[in-house]
Amino acid sequence: MEFLGTIINYILNLGAPVFVPFIMLIAGLMVRMKLRDGASAAITLGVAFVGMSMLIGFMVDAIGAAAQTMMERTGIELSIVDGGWTTMANVSWAWPYAFLMFPLQVGVNILMLVLKKTDTFNADLWNVWGKIFTAFIVVAVVTPILGSVIALILAFVVATLQIILELNSGDINQHRIEKLTGIPGVTCTHRMLFFSAIYYPFDLLLRKIPALNKPMDAATLRSKLGIFAENHVIGFLLGVTFGIIAGYDVAAILMLGIQAATALMLFPMISKLFMQALSPISEAISDYMNKRFAGRKLFVGLDWPFMGGASEIWFTVIVAIPCTLLWAVILPGNKLLPFAGIINIALVVPAYILTKGNTLRMVILAIIGVPFFLFVGTQFAPIITDLGLATKAIDIPTNQLISNSSIDAPVFTYASSFIWQCSQGYFVPLILAVYWCIGYVFYARELRKEYLQETNQ
Amino acid sequence: MKKVIVACGSGVATSQTVASKVTRLLKERNLDDIKVEVVDLKSVDTHIKNSAAYIAITKIEKQYPIPVINGIAFLTGINMDAELQKIIEACK
Repeated sequence: MEFLGTIINYILNLGAPVFVPFIMLIAGLMVRMKLRDGASAAITLGVAFVGMSMLIGFMVDAIGAAAQTMMERTGIELSIVDGGWTTMANVSWAWPYAFLMFPLQVGVNILMLVLKKTDTFNADLWNVWGKIFTAFIVVAVVTPILGSVIALILAFVVATLQIILELNSGDINQHRIEKLTGIPGVTCTHRMLFFSAIYYPFDLLLRKIPALNKPMDAATLRSKLGIFAENHVIGFLLGVTFGIIAGYDVAAILMLGIQAATALMLFPMISKLFMQALSPISEAISDYMNKRFAGRKLFVGLDWPFMGGASEIWFTVIVAIPCTLLWAVILPGNKLLPFAGIINIALVVPAYILTKGNTLRMVILAIIGVPFFLFVGTQFAPIITDLGLATKAIDIPTNQLISNSSIDAPVFTYASSFIWQCSQGYFVPLILAVYWCIGYVFYARELRKEYLQETNQ
Repeated sequence: MKKVIVACGSGVATSQTVASKVTRLLKERNLDDIKVEVVDLKSVDTHIKNSAAYIAITKIEKQYPIPVINGIAFLTGINMDAELQKIIEACK
């Protein structure tokens, strides 16, 4: 037993860039990939880890130094570097149990379909990392309270709950999404839609204000502001802003601008490699599911981008950027300096579906939503940093924390992982969990009513 | 060498899934001279000029000078062969 433990420790100590490709190779052979293709995919995955690690290190050097100077100069302590969702995916895939989430998601989905508890097949096997993310947060929170074995079990229980809720969310949102996008037969199974539950009570109030319910031409506004949604432009502007606040000289300000632009432009380029490496596995699973349920009419659950044609989404995303920076400064307890996560899709897409694309209400809801993201991002920072360092998925100086200002479904993820702290007398996660559940139930009821009304006529 | 572009909002996950799938399907048909490239949705216009087709994941209202392919088909498997044929035609 001790011998086995030594081997496992040795493998884990190799670091994610080595052991995850190894697992990937085994998983690839299991879905009958050729050895040559499997090896190529595995090495690509290793390259993705090292590439991300380099880039995160580069970003932390540039932005972390500016944040430090900003703090000394202004007293505003925003010491946690925002690595965006790409950093989160990187750390998640490095979790030693990550690949177990594939069979879990597929298994739960099949079971739900067979039992007729859902009509959605979640074909989005990239966002399996969202379940991994929740699971490792649960492990980190629960281990000191209940021990490591129970923590691991609970992590998979919560991940299962998330898988079920994503399918349910796909079911309830499908009709409205089809109406908004005009694309039949698909739905969105991304957990970012869970955030609608938090917006719902606010939106009920906003609907009562006639001035907010006028249609707005988001397409024109977007074409005027469009350039600001490009990663490198946003990166440059943020870098320059941080440089000015930090009191750098002109040369240093411009250099920080270009460095920040580099980080934001390269993040998606490197992240793409993860997807490239994992796609044979996700394709094999998709093909299998299509065969297994051929003949039954299923909604195919996808990631959010098929809704990305909506100008309302991009306009609101841009407007949310300065609001996020402002909130970061004034929100008590916030330590996160918004950067790579600032193009916050998870903030806006739930509002888009909830308001059926009403731009004014989307903007107001997004402004209300930002503090939730900053709060959860700050809370998760030590956990994310620890796992990243332990698995060698990130390589940053000690004492430096990293997190994300756009964690998908922040309230659900926080509540379902931190709720165990109730036993230590801390009740904020419980209150948020209750708020989320009530919001979700009533929102689901509205969507159901709408579906029935519009299909009966 | 003909180039086909795929775009999605982040230019990472969804578009890369579609690109990998299309690349594999083309390879199975021995069409190795078609290159499938992933681009950011916001920079589609700059890539249109030197591409043979645009695989879109969103609904397209704008008119493009090159054929627009329905990328959702490659995610759901429905009508996938027809859409693949359109790509092959565009690259002839």
